[in-house]
Amino acid sequence: MTALISGLVLPLLAALAAIALPARARLPVALLGVGLTLAASIWLAISVWTNGAITVSLGGWQPPIGIALRADGLGAALGVMTALVMAAVALAARHEMEPLVAGPRTSFGFWPLMLLLWAALNAVFVSRDLFNLYVGLELITLTAVALVAISGKAEAIAAALRYLLFALAGSLLYLAGVVLSYAAHGTLDISLLAARTAVPGDALALGLMTAGLLVKTALFPFHVWLPPAHSAAPAPASAMLSALVPKASLLILLRLWFEAMPELATPVALFTLAGLGALAVIWGGVLALLQARLKLIVAYSTVAQLGYIFLVFPLAGGDGAAQPWAAGAWTGAMFQMLGHGLAKAAMFLAAGIYIAAVGSDRLSDVRGLARALPMTGFAFALASITLLGLPPSAGFTAKYLLMTGAFASGQWAWAFVLVGGGLLAAAYLYRPLTAIFAREIAVTPRPIPWGWQAVPLVLAMLSVALGLLSSVPFDFLQIGRPDQAAEGL
Amino acid sequence: MSTIYSGSLAPFAVLLWPLLIGLVPIVPRWRANALRLLPFAPLPALGFAMAGAPGSVVIPDLMLGVQLGSGPDTSLLLGMTALVWTVAGFYAALFMARGSAAGVFASFWCLTLAGNLGVFLAADIITFYIAFAAVSLAAWLMVVHDRTKDALAAGRVYIALAVLGEAALLSGLMIGAAAAEDLQISTVRAAFADAPLGSLGVGLLIAGFGIKAGMVPLHLWLPLAHPAAPVAGSAVLSGAIVKAGLIGMVLLVPEETGWRSVLIVLGLLGAFGAAIWGLSQRNPKAVLAYSTVSQMGLLLVLAGAGSQGVAYAALHHGIAKAALFLCVGMMMLAASPAQRRAVLGLAGLVALSVAGLPLTGGALAKLAGKQGLSEMLALAVTLSSVTTTLVLGWFLIRLAQIPAKPQQISHWGGAFVAIVGLGVLALVLPWVLWSGIVDLPRDYVWRPPNMLEGLWPVLVGLGALAVIRRVKLPEYPPGDVLHLIGNHKLRPVFQLPVGKQGVQYRKRATLRLLLMFKIAERWLLHWPVAGSTLMGVALAVTAMVWIAS
Amino acid sequence: MTTTLPVLLLLPSLVPAAVTFFLPQDSHALRNILQLGGAVLKLGLIVWMLVAVATGATYEAEFPLAPGLVILLRIDALALLFISLSATLWLLTTIYAIAYFGTKAELSRFFGFFSLCVAATTGLALSGSLISFFIFFELLTLSTWPLVAHKQDKPSLAAARVYFTYALPGSAALLWAIIWLESATGPVLFTEPPDLSGLDPAALRAIFALFIIGVGVKAGLVPLHGWLPAAMAAPAPVSALLHAVAVVKAGAFGVVRIVYDVFGAENMTALGVGVPLAIVASVTIVWGSVRALQQDEIKKRLAFSTVSQVSYIVLGAALASPLAMIGGLVHLVHQGLMKITLFFCAGIYDERAGIKRINGLNGMGKRMPWTSACFSLGAMGMIGLPPLAGFVSKFYLGLGAIEAGAPWVLAVLLASTLLNAAYFLPLLYRLWFLPCAANTKCDERAPGLVLPAVVTATATMGVGLLAASPISPLGWATLIVTQGYGP
Repeated sequence: MTALISGLVLPLLAALAAIALPARARLPVALLGVGLTLAASIWLAISVWTNGAITVSLGGWQPPIGIALRADGLGAALGVMTALVMAAVALAARHEMEPLVAGPRTSFGFWPLMLLLWAALNAVFVSRDLFNLYVGLELITLTAVALVAISGKAEAIAAALRYLLFALAGSLLYLAGVVLSYAAHGTLDISLLAARTAVPGDALALGLMTAGLLVKTALFPFHVWLPPAHSAAPAPASAMLSALVPKASLLILLRLWFEAMPELATPVALFTLAGLGALAVIWGGVLALLQARLKLIVAYSTVAQLGYIFLVFPLAGGDGAAQPWAAGAWTGAMFQMLGHGLAKAAMFLAAGIYIAAVGSDRLSDVRGLARALPMTGFAFALASITLLGLPPSAGFTAKYLLMTGAFASGQWAWAFVLVGGGLLAAAYLYRPLTAIFAREIAVTPRPIPWGWQAVPLVLAMLSVALGLLSSVPFDFLQIGRPDQAAEGL
Repeated sequence: MSTIYSGSLAPFAVLLWPLLIGLVPIVPRWRANALRLLPFAPLPALGFAMAGAPGSVVIPDLMLGVQLGSGPDTSLLLGMTALVWTVAGFYAALFMARGSAAGVFASFWCLTLAGNLGVFLAADIITFYIAFAAVSLAAWLMVVHDRTKDALAAGRVYIALAVLGEAALLSGLMIGAAAAEDLQISTVRAAFADAPLGSLGVGLLIAGFGIKAGMVPLHLWLPLAHPAAPVAGSAVLSGAIVKAGLIGMVLLVPEETGWRSVLIVLGLLGAFGAAIWGLSQRNPKAVLAYSTVSQMGLLLVLAGAGSQGVAYAALHHGIAKAALFLCVGMMMLAASPAQRRAVLGLAGLVALSVAGLPLTGGALAKLAGKQGLSEMLALAVTLSSVTTTLVLGWFLIRLAQIPAKPQQISHWGGAFVAIVGLGVLALVLPWVLWSGIVDLPRDYVWRPPNMLEGLWPVLVGLGALAVIRRVKLPEYPPGDVLHLIGNHKLRPVFQLPVGKQGVQYRKRATLRLLLMFKIAERWLLHWPVAGSTLMGVALAVTAMVWIAS
Repeated sequence: MTTTLPVLLLLPSLVPAAVTFFLPQDSHALRNILQLGGAVLKLGLIVWMLVAVATGATYEAEFPLAPGLVILLRIDALALLFISLSATLWLLTTIYAIAYFGTKAELSRFFGFFSLCVAATTGLALSGSLISFFIFFELLTLSTWPLVAHKQDKPSLAAARVYFTYALPGSAALLWAIIWLESATGPVLFTEPPDLSGLDPAALRAIFALFIIGVGVKAGLVPLHGWLPAAMAAPAPVSALLHAVAVVKAGAFGVVRIVYDVFGAENMTALGVGVPLAIVASVTIVWGSVRALQQDEIKKRLAFSTVSQVSYIVLGAALASPLAMIGGLVHLVHQGLMKITLFFCAGIYDERAGIKRINGLNGMGKRMPWTSACFSLGAMGMIGLPPLAGFVSKFYLGLGAIEAGAPWVLAVLLASTLLNAAYFLPLLYRLWFLPCAANTKCDERAPGLVLPAVVTATATMGVGLLAASPISPLGWATLIVTQGYGP
């Protein structure tokens, strides 16, 4: 319980302290906050592992009067992943967000925003209350928009504004759905909603909430805000934006469909969601193929990678009872969330290093950088393996579990998406990789400290290790797993 | 640990010895003089054969289990082969140019020799096949040794047919071995009768052996290669190497098969056709080569008819033909008229023996061979003496046309003695071996009808020769059928042109398709589009879920 | 049964790989010691194990990942056949590569991926489950790509791209097949063939086809072979390793595993997929040879020859008769020995005399006798001249074909022999019988390059000459078939 609460409170406190304390103390305080929150997240995960899902009723009030927080396997796992990414971002930002490098304003704004974002993410991971989730989501959106705009460049401001407008539209739809639902059932708690007596209005509520969340998750065709925003932000910010932010709204979407209103799922709706996911895989892949800048490629790749996760809607469960090994489609999607988070953060941080080294992330400028910055090149390559879904990475585990689900449930056409997406990823990652590993160096890079270079490498290795040692995470994700994950919708 | 070998190592040593000598030229300093060792390479084999080819050996770990040993037929031919190679080696040692090319020649000579001996010693098909491949392929070098244009062209035809023959042979052996589930030659032979595809297998074997044995129409290479090779090479090619194909037929083609009659027909075709075609040749070696095709045809008839005297007849032909080829060499080296007369005399004597003049070795060979043949075939064999006399007479005429060498060459006499020895053996050895091998009383030879049977064809042949001398014979280059086909040289296959048009176009089309995505992406960015999609999705999801409730 | 041994077998390649990546470019001695040490150590381990496995011992190590993903490393006779080949040739290729590259640039990267590639091959051989096979299969793809691209010039990069374009869809097909099959049968372990009775025969056929496409890309089955000749842009040691042990062999090995350990010979016959596979293999054999005939570049010719020769192994597996399988398995080793000899020599010609094209070979027999002799031995082995290695495999394949009731295969073997002769004999002719261009600068005084070639050439002869001995590859292949797949 303490772990759960401290995961929420510690980053908030650190954020406040970072604003309040003088500039000299800002970095140490922020790093201390990062360290403590990381410890809290891991602690939470350990206690979930040993005790099972942890439920906390704030102030001792039970829902519907009070608000319940619950850390299940998925929430805690996402918490740990977030903590790892955040820690890495902090280590990279130590260099990148130095006042001398990034300017005093950016440097001042970055740390509180980052910690605030973290607190909001943790809140979403453990919340069981639709409105609570809304608040978390809004906080995420606002900090994220601020992070996009933080550099103050015209291009960044434009991207941030577009992001803001999309996100607000999404928030409004979501909120409208929440209100409808509350009006009908008098509760916002997910577990209670699951036990409600259905009314016709539920369909509209779910529709509105879903659409709103889709915008925030940047699912095709609402992904258009994402690439400009993510590529305009400073690299550490992009890492958070791409690796973590969409996961929050996606998690809410999953909780809504799998836990709150599972009985509303119809085959055609599931098909549509997965179909949009499939389109996202293709669309994101093709557009990534057409980009000339590293960060844009990586950003479009996020669009594609998020698409896979939506396949969980029709595939979850599969023919689960008869074939226990096929029950993993849901877990597969979760592996994708975790693995993609780690790998994508690694990629953006690597891109950040390149930008710091040669001042640009154009493919023509990063040519041959692997020679000067081998660890970074290696990190990018390792992260690519996860995105390609090649063994033994987390991406492979995800793809394997989803594909098994697809075949086991007889919906093998979705396997085309998984396989085709992997090939498309190979195609769009091939260019940056060959550029980075080219023989001749296009621009002589500025030296980069080893400590910084190691950061994305560690993240990328973690994304591979997640697949290599997938048996413990697999079991962990089963803790507090909704029944519908195994049985299907 | 299993035993390394069982039996007597003698047959193995006989094979190993020439291989070891073949390694000598690897040392550069010994290379130039390696030719001198050639006469010694077949000596152990000669001794082994003269001792009656005692002993056999099984070496289970070598290859797929090497088994060596020889029967009555094979030991005869083994001895003949060793003898021919010894004399030819002696000739080569004396007269062939020394130098680095000589080293290579010596190596290949020894390899070919080992293969040639191996064919007669092998008791399992793998060893047999290896030996056969060695003798076929390594002999290629003898053909091309002189590197003249003709030699190279002949070499191309030779190697192509040799490889083809190897492939056919291997396939045939595989069919037999698969049916026999064993590698012993006798078992494999027996298995063909009931084997699925047994007939095809035998056909393949006949093709494979036929190429080597100069069976019409697979003899194409022979009249090209034998004249092109150096004299010593021609001698072993025509005398000994072609017998590898013959022994294959004898050892592996089973008796009860329709293929036997094919053998007989093709044999007859060769026996007569090649002899007559030989008259169109001017080069004495080419004439001799056609005579070889003809004689081999005769031997194939005997083999096909299952005659007991095949090996015996082959022994005679091998020695005699080698002697004749060596005579050509001696003639080319002869300077004085006395030398030329001596050579012509020897050649004439040997030629008469080949033609089957009574009381010569050749007559004995024919008598032994005819034994057990049907009337018709026996008559055909008798008749073939006419054409043989004709073509060999023509050979002698052409031999006499070889211009004299301006000056004396050393060692001519010594070499000639050796060749005389060989020629005499051709005449005498059948006598010596008669009682041991041929199942006929010795006085069978002396019986008048038999004497007459040998005599009249020779006389007819000589008469025909006298007639032919007056007409101008047509002249064709060697390689009959090849010319009819019209393609003398096997052209190398060149790289086919690869179409490259279209690649560019396809690339552009792909690019255009990809760009459409970019345009669509920009379109999605417009607020009206984005807004209405958003509402659309919200309502769509609602509608879809509605269906459920 | 011990569990550590299979892992131990991976380490001698993995550890040098891991360390070498981080070695500075100029610490040549340390790198070479690491590489050679690893290779020698591995060879020692294998010799030790060979004895144990010959008496029927098996070693297993299992690492469960997520449910269904079973990483199983297992040493059986078949695995050991492949491993001993790869370990032996790894050592030789390492010696060769060290001599070949000297002190050129980017060697740490090269040797890192080089030993990683060997580790992947080892893992592939040791794999006891489909999933572990797939994982190492992918690792192999990834680790060979940088090797193909090593020179980083335009042709190399293009070759590497082509390699990926073929390899990745191949992997996708393989993954598809694995998951399709496993979603019905559960995780497939090679020790216990899955129960296929519950599956629709049509689906099984499709799965089989996907499997073959998946591994067929690596094995260079026509029409999936396009990457192989392109990959010739790689440095010679890479080509040698690629063609002899690593990639194409992995594909061929995969075919054997799939046919015998996943489907089983009876099922394959019952499904009627054996003959189509044999036909594909036959087409590959002939097509590869025909294309080889048309090549003017030595390495390209060798590459197409590989396309053709590797399908012998596939053919052996497809025919599904014991003798054919022995032929196929033994060719796995024999082709490796012969092809690596040829590539070693092609590399020497290129490196020491600047000869890339066939007409450059004229007269090289005199100038570079050792190299040329090795090359000739390799080429003659390929043609299948007895008593060299290639003959033994061909003979068994032929017997097996008749045994399996597919005598038409004999015609394929026959055609292949003739074509092999047609594209190799002219090379030998040029080497030994044509005069050489006077101005060619050549020098084969490079023991590190020539010695490995001599060793493999000798082995080419040795394994043929001593084929019947129980310790020969043929003896080992016979053991595998009688132990594991015999009736």
